[in-house]
Amino acid sequence: MTISKKNMKWIPWLLILPVVLIRGFTTVYPILMTVKNSFFNISILAGINEFIGFKNYLKVFSDPKVLTSISFTAIFVVASMILHVILGVILALILNMKFKGRRFLRTIVLIPWAMPAVVAGMAAKWAFNNDYGLINDFIRWFVPGYQNSWLINTGTARAAVIAMDLWKDLPFFAILVLSGLQFISGDIYEAAKVDGANGIQSFFRITLPLIAKNVLTLCIPFTLWRLTTFDLVYSMTSGGPGEDTALMAYRITTEAFTNLNVGYASALAMLLFVVMAIFSWLNIRVMNKFDS
Amino acid sequence: MKKKVMSAVLAAAMVVGMTSNVVTVSAKEKYDLTLYSVNTTDPDFEDWLANVEDATGLNINVIAAPTDSDTRQQKVTTMLSTGDASVDIIEINDEMSAAFKNSGWLEGLNDTVMTDDIADQFAQGYVKDMITDKDGNIIGVPGYTGYLAFWVNQEIMDEVGIKSIDTKEDFMKYMKAVSKDGRFGYGGSWEKTYAFNELAQFVNMFGGDYFDWTKEENKEAVQFLHDLVADKETSIEQIADKYEQMNPKINDGKYGCWFMWGLGTDYAKADMLGADKIHMEMVPDFSGKGERTIFTDSWSYVLNKASKNKDAAVKFLQYMADEGGMEASYKAFDRYPARKDVADKVVPDSDPAKEMYSRYANECNVQGRPMVAQTMEFISDMGTIFQSCMKDEITVDEFCKKAQDVVDMYK
Repeated sequence: MTISKKNMKWIPWLLILPVVLIRGFTTVYPILMTVKNSFFNISILAGINEFIGFKNYLKVFSDPKVLTSISFTAIFVVASMILHVILGVILALILNMKFKGRRFLRTIVLIPWAMPAVVAGMAAKWAFNNDYGLINDFIRWFVPGYQNSWLINTGTARAAVIAMDLWKDLPFFAILVLSGLQFISGDIYEAAKVDGANGIQSFFRITLPLIAKNVLTLCIPFTLWRLTTFDLVYSMTSGGPGEDTALMAYRITTEAFTNLNVGYASALAMLLFVVMAIFSWLNIRVMNKFDS
Repeated sequence: MKKKVMSAVLAAAMVVGMTSNVVTVSAKEKYDLTLYSVNTTDPDFEDWLANVEDATGLNINVIAAPTDSDTRQQKVTTMLSTGDASVDIIEINDEMSAAFKNSGWLEGLNDTVMTDDIADQFAQGYVKDMITDKDGNIIGVPGYTGYLAFWVNQEIMDEVGIKSIDTKEDFMKYMKAVSKDGRFGYGGSWEKTYAFNELAQFVNMFGGDYFDWTKEENKEAVQFLHDLVADKETSIEQIADKYEQMNPKINDGKYGCWFMWGLGTDYAKADMLGADKIHMEMVPDFSGKGERTIFTDSWSYVLNKASKNKDAAVKFLQYMADEGGMEASYKAFDRYPARKDVADKVVPDSDPAKEMYSRYANECNVQGRPMVAQTMEFISDMGTIFQSCMKDEITVDEFCKKAQDVVDMYK
């Protein structure tokens, strides 16, 4: 018996239907519930569940804890991404050079990325300890008697969080940039050399333009990951000192699951979602302009 | 042919996978009750469980609670608030007890387990403050008695020639004698969710009220702590410390005295526990009137109202409240029995904690810690402004005003 072409059209849909249903239930349903909850005052401990319109959204602008989180999230994303791009390209260029042990280096450089963020955060909590930490131990080789408790002051705590984020994810960024570098033909560099171009000129006139689109493309997921960073802060600083290193994702989780203010947490989650959507749209527009 | 073989192998694997789940489900049905426990990582847990199962005749399924306090609270809250019946007995701490006791999620035990004769054997202040709801229902069985004990390093005391720390003046003399060369007279854990313990303790010692920050005694307590930091008699670095960071510093001799829960297991592991090394002492009298105050805590066993195995759960709880259950917990988990009569019987006189715990119970005003329903938010907000005050970001007066705002918001 042959199956008619008309019947065959439905078979793929039928086959993927179970996965679509599961995905719908585990993704679409929670998103819709989050949108709905954001308009309600839901306090599990107080047993409250009442419609309050946009009050949760308005509360954001007068909540000092959330404003601190928004401020540090902006600093964290911008600083981390700028350093990711600069240091990531530098590391990729080093990994692209021809030297003995290059393959070994390319392998071990990914170890931090492979480590779970919670493990990295807990290790960092000790690493930045003034008495027992390896960071200050290392600095004391050069500056004897150096004392600094990194995680008790706002500035140094934030710097430590950004540094740990870089340590963890920079290698992965570099490896992805490296894959773009490897597509650049060596003939172009030879031709440039013949024309009298030095290393720096080759980098700015050949390498950078050819990997720019690759780097811009990587910026989308990497920025989104920075915006949703939670586990590093959770395990390293618990948002402290005070609330000064509480990123937005950490604040949302705290409101939802520690303070049990589900409605308010849903509103914060929606705002973060909007920011992420706007950023993604802007990035794609820049890339399209870059293409044209 | 190869493809057909592969398909057959994959299909067989799927079938085996599905049927093994069926076997697992069947095995689960053999349990009489499910216990959500925080003690599963203890090396003696299996022995303790065997003892309980022998004594009660119950077959107990154990689920390990997360070790992180935030995650643990989140999971337990989710279970109870959704009416999840998969867990019958849960071990909860004071923070969870304050949050849940009036929620209606926990079964009252007055008629079944915590009858008058049994309940009278527990610390009455604790039972009233922490595990009795607004309608008078006792919702938990305390698993042990713990105190936020006052600890000293005897080696440091001997070195500086201080024989006892009995009064506020003795305390200050000790601070001045000890605090130099990277060592501090007083040590603490002032991470924002931990600072509350010591802040409340000092407020009590000065005769204040943690829920009334208009009181002069409260301000005195905060000013006292602030001055300890300013005079370098305690380290500002401890605002990043939880107990895991504080205890190694204690073992390294960095602190002359501190407040800490437990029986000193971390110090014993470092071979630092003993009458000539690190030991508990009586809480100093800061009031000048012979009044000493101390906090007690516990982890309590509570019965999920949604439980479908209440008879078995009550049997378990009765054993936990009984001498046998308390003795088993003391031997396995090194936790002091919550019932005074049981403690007198089963704890040997050679246990260094016995004498001090007895003195705490008899000579101190024993209280549960001041908590509200939105416990974690309250603790965290108070801890945050406390850290700001200690770092001189706000004054002591500003702290007291903000603290009262926090109390008014959550109480």
